[in-house]
Amino acid sequence: SESLHELEDTDLDALMADLVADLSATEEKLTAEIQGLKAPSPPLSSSLVSTSATSPLPPPQAGKPSKEDIEAQMKADKIKLALEKLKEAKVKKLVVKVLMNDGSSKTLMVDERQTVREVLDNLFEKTHCDANVDWSLCETNYELQLERTFEDHENMVEPLLAWTRDSENKVLFQERRDKFEVFKNPQNFYLWKKDKKTLKDMKDKDKELLIKENFCGPSIIVPDLEGVLYLKEDGKKSWKQRLFQLRASGIYYVPKGKTKSSRDLVCFVQFDNVNVYFGKDVKNRYKAPTDFCFVLKHPQIQKESQYIKYLCCDDDWTMRLWMTGIRIAKYGALLHGNYKAAEKKSVVSSAWTNRSTPSSSNQSTPSPTIRGTRCPPHPQEDFGNLPPPPPPLNEILPPPSPDPVLPPPPPSLASKPSGPHRKQPSGFPPPPLGIDNNLPPPPLPPPIDEAPPDFLPPPPPNTGIGSFPPPPPNTGFGSLPPPPPPPPPPVSSLPPPPASFGGIKKSLHPPPQDPQFLPPPPPDPVFTSAGAPPPPPPPPPAFAATPRANARPAGSVKKMPPAPPKRTTPVAGGGGGGGDLMSELMLAMKKRSDH
Amino acid sequence: MAAWDLSVTVEDLGPDAPPVTISVASDLHVGGVIVKLVEKTQIKRDWSDHALWWDQKKMWLLRTAWTLEKYGIHADARLIFMPQHRPLKLDLPNGKTVRLRACFSDPVFQTVMGICRQLNIRHPEELSLLRPVEEKKKKKDKDLTEEIYDLTEVPLSSVSRPCLYNGMPAHFAESEKMEAVYKMLSITQTPPAPEVITKQYRPASVVDKAHINGRWLDSSRCLMQQNIQENDRLWLRFKYYTFYELDPKYDVVRLTQLYEQARWAILLEDIDCTEEEMMLFGALQYHISKVSQSEPQALSTNTAMDDLESALLSLEVKMEGESSSATDVLIKRSCVNVRFRPKRLTLKGYKQYWFKFQDTSIAYFKSKEESIGEPIQQINLKGCEVAPDVNVAAQKFLIRLLIPAPEGMNEVFLRCENERQYAQWMAGCRLASKGKSLADSSFQSEIQSIRSFLAMQRNNSGSSSNAASSDESINTHSLVSPRYHKKYKTKQLTPRILDAYQNVAQLSLSDALMRFLQIWQALPDFGLSYVVVRFKGSRKDEVLGIAPNRLIRIDLGVGDVVKTWRYNNMKQWNVNWDIRQVAIEFEGNVNIAFSCVTADCRIVHEFIGGYIFMSTRSREKSDVLNQELFHKLTGGHEAL
Repeated sequence: SESLHELEDTDLDALMADLVADLSATEEKLTAEIQGLKAPSPPLSSSLVSTSATSPLPPPQAGKPSKEDIEAQMKADKIKLALEKLKEAKVKKLVVKVLMNDGSSKTLMVDERQTVREVLDNLFEKTHCDANVDWSLCETNYELQLERTFEDHENMVEPLLAWTRDSENKVLFQERRDKFEVFKNPQNFYLWKKDKKTLKDMKDKDKELLIKENFCGPSIIVPDLEGVLYLKEDGKKSWKQRLFQLRASGIYYVPKGKTKSSRDLVCFVQFDNVNVYFGKDVKNRYKAPTDFCFVLKHPQIQKESQYIKYLCCDDDWTMRLWMTGIRIAKYGALLHGNYKAAEKKSVVSSAWTNRSTPSSSNQSTPSPTIRGTRCPPHPQEDFGNLPPPPPPLNEILPPPSPDPVLPPPPPSLASKPSGPHRKQPSGFPPPPLGIDNNLPPPPLPPPIDEAPPDFLPPPPPNTGIGSFPPPPPNTGFGSLPPPPPPPPPPVSSLPPPPASFGGIKKSLHPPPQDPQFLPPPPPDPVFTSAGAPPPPPPPPPAFAATPRANARPAGSVKKMPPAPPKRTTPVAGGGGGGGDLMSELMLAMKKRSDH
Repeated sequence: MAAWDLSVTVEDLGPDAPPVTISVASDLHVGGVIVKLVEKTQIKRDWSDHALWWDQKKMWLLRTAWTLEKYGIHADARLIFMPQHRPLKLDLPNGKTVRLRACFSDPVFQTVMGICRQLNIRHPEELSLLRPVEEKKKKKDKDLTEEIYDLTEVPLSSVSRPCLYNGMPAHFAESEKMEAVYKMLSITQTPPAPEVITKQYRPASVVDKAHINGRWLDSSRCLMQQNIQENDRLWLRFKYYTFYELDPKYDVVRLTQLYEQARWAILLEDIDCTEEEMMLFGALQYHISKVSQSEPQALSTNTAMDDLESALLSLEVKMEGESSSATDVLIKRSCVNVRFRPKRLTLKGYKQYWFKFQDTSIAYFKSKEESIGEPIQQINLKGCEVAPDVNVAAQKFLIRLLIPAPEGMNEVFLRCENERQYAQWMAGCRLASKGKSLADSSFQSEIQSIRSFLAMQRNNSGSSSNAASSDESINTHSLVSPRYHKKYKTKQLTPRILDAYQNVAQLSLSDALMRFLQIWQALPDFGLSYVVVRFKGSRKDEVLGIAPNRLIRIDLGVGDVVKTWRYNNMKQWNVNWDIRQVAIEFEGNVNIAFSCVTADCRIVHEFIGGYIFMSTRSREKSDVLNQELFHKLTGGHEAL
């Protein structure tokens, strides 16, 4: 029966190969437009498929089910696998440049399936910050002067794809008290009408009760908010006062001459299709009555439009009440889940950091310097993220200036990247380079993806995926492969590499086919040796065991060395402007809220 | 001790039979009296449910070991010997009436427990009984001969049997008739005719809403003590708005009845909501009624849907859709001439293009022949807003798309030729807006629901001439409160409900029920029971709102909440039964006191105590109801 199976396997595999080829072809087109990098997943090669498919076999046989059963099962498995691969093949990866508080930046690869939470976790590992719950990723919209803290459960890539290609939007990594303030001091939101002293003296158990009542019941209770706000009407310049009310179903206002009775309320906006943003500098820009402005708009809208709704509050606190209330109405229990997860994370990581010596096999860096922010950069880390001054990179990258130095003229950038690019793959994955330190942790399968260096001469997709880092730094955030637009280096996080990249892109093209002849042999052995199930990257079942590692090489790689050294950048500066402004703002906000 | 004659009316002998006289001594215990009585009557039957009721004192002689002396019974006592469980007509939250045997001797709290056991409703502590609002006997009472579902045959012993058959208590499986009762209990009712809604009493103000709360029975006393007679009618309702662990798996009846209560609360504007919310409630009712008819008892829909099969299906479609060679199939299915009007370009008039649906995008071409090449434009619908603009009578089938773009939203209208085409494209657009392709398994059902909605509109508009009521037709006026009957004609209302419907059309029955309840519970006024009170030192009536976690004070002049007190800040509360005043002390030296105008202060007291009791429930102890605690918290000095 074995042979029979194999026959089928090959058929199926052939089919898959076809499919994949088609897929990747169309996708390439797409990518060009989208800027999203979709690297056809490396494992698509037929050999891989078969191996993976067969490996699951043994167990069933052991159980000695009927032959048909086995076959059926196999087929089923294979189809699942195939589907999984199809999905995998479509996975986009984005290189994102994240601005730190100190003005430095980190660049990392984000898989389109990753949530903000996962990205934050990555950043924790890279930065060795204290991992407290306030750490957040925020998006700023330069053109509209808006900013918004991403919710932890959100998909990270999606909002970024809405950015226009020449956008100067940024992603910031900052502590934001507002993100979870409602869970720390629920009384300020749910009992805001009470006097300050009562609120301040609130007992912990009463706070818990409030959270339980409002977030843990059968339905989420939205803070009871009602008040006069200034509204900038569609496309008009004037600001009008209206009495607004927040309900779970949306924001309403009381029409002139009507009562506040529910049935007379007019719906102003529902939350399905809008996000809430903080609007900066509205007094100047729009002659707003105050600077405490929140904005509701569809995430896709990136430029001035009558579909953007601006609401001004009398004071900062009111604005935060509303913004938080809207988030509760929009996300409900998810927020609470996010908070719980963040809390857990912060506990775990503080435990980690407290531990003086790494004990686990995972720990890549031996140790001591874990916390220092400025310790000598270790190369290893660089896989996914391109910290600015990583030495190894430099070695690899002929181009002198990694990212911090931002503004290398586009052309040069272009040319450079392509060079390094190719090399990297080979240089990268192979642990040897910088990795030695942290390599110890062998168990993790993820690296495998990148392992194929040996036979990966050309920059096949996989490498692209895994090791891409180099080029992006300059560009900031872009989609990997076909990053068309020229990078406004320092500032923007957006636009990927410049024209030169085109070259890269081309080189990338071949990948689709690569898979077929590519990686087969190595993976297997590796996997087996690792003891892990024989998961070719995409297969679903195997996945469970090694969570997503394969899926997003960059991320996974990072994960394995939990305590790698940190590389904050000595060479700060690039892109810092925005960050500073933000941090100042935050500071200001904090001050306000503090007292 | 001297013997004397005691006469006892034995109910089983018939209403006209003279009392049975037995000779007793004061030290005879009640049990002995009963033995003597039974012997005397010479009737052989099961007397175990019988007990003595002392009519003058309004009390049951339930302690059979107590002597007559201890009870203080003399020869002049009017005693009645009768069953403790007696038939009662109960009006359920869904408006149906059941007749069942309820205990007339236990405190109402326990009586409700017994009733709920028979009906299979968990957490009986959340429900209670109230006296019905007297209906003014109107002219034709005869056509109102309502159906009564009879449960009096259920042996009392069987109720305690826990065995469930098919998710249904065993006693409902005994006959077809019983199964019909269970069906009534566990399946939602079809939406009421609009006239039925209009005819019902609707509270017009908070004060109106307060009146109903004067009708709750006292949980700590029995039915007989509250002058409830055999075969009287009472309402069974959820009283405490804190529903512990609602679980569609175990709570079929509970969930259904709760939904019915919530639905009526909304239809009769017992709780206020906005128009948008009303439309969503309407859409959910429509959906629930539709699904519960087509999905009898199958509570969880295809949860176990074959993984592989669906996987295969989607593979198939993916191959068709994504590999360039195989697009034909999809095209055949979805390629139709749709007229198209980008708003800005032309004021009116539509230009005809050849449209193709692919994945989550639509692309259009000059003509079918050119559809192989590059499209004129391709629009990705993911994240866009889709709204219908349909008038069946006028054969207008427009799909309005609001497509987000960096510069703002683009409005695009697609005009379809006919209903069929419209349903397909509308379904496609909706799925695409949620990021799903036509390959999604919900595509067909989406089309179906759109068409059935269109059918509704057709029927409505033609109803004047020909009342052909197919089962598909629900008058949308049945789904909203009478206010909207006046505001919108059905043909205006239907599209609005349809609009809301698109977000819920895919829910399973139990999910839809839960969603309805969630939205209900998220309304700002949810859970408030009102009582008109007079605060100490104040000269005007005000309204006290009692919620699961707080009390609110509503100033009738202002018409708004002026004060909120939370139970968790409450230190103690007292009732001065002499002056009928409730006094509550909160932390921080806050004291309030009020007398009650529209309800007895006992009712207010029981509400507060009841909610505090509800908050003490916990998972570990959820099996056993701490009745003693309940009575302690709610009974006041009259506690047992």
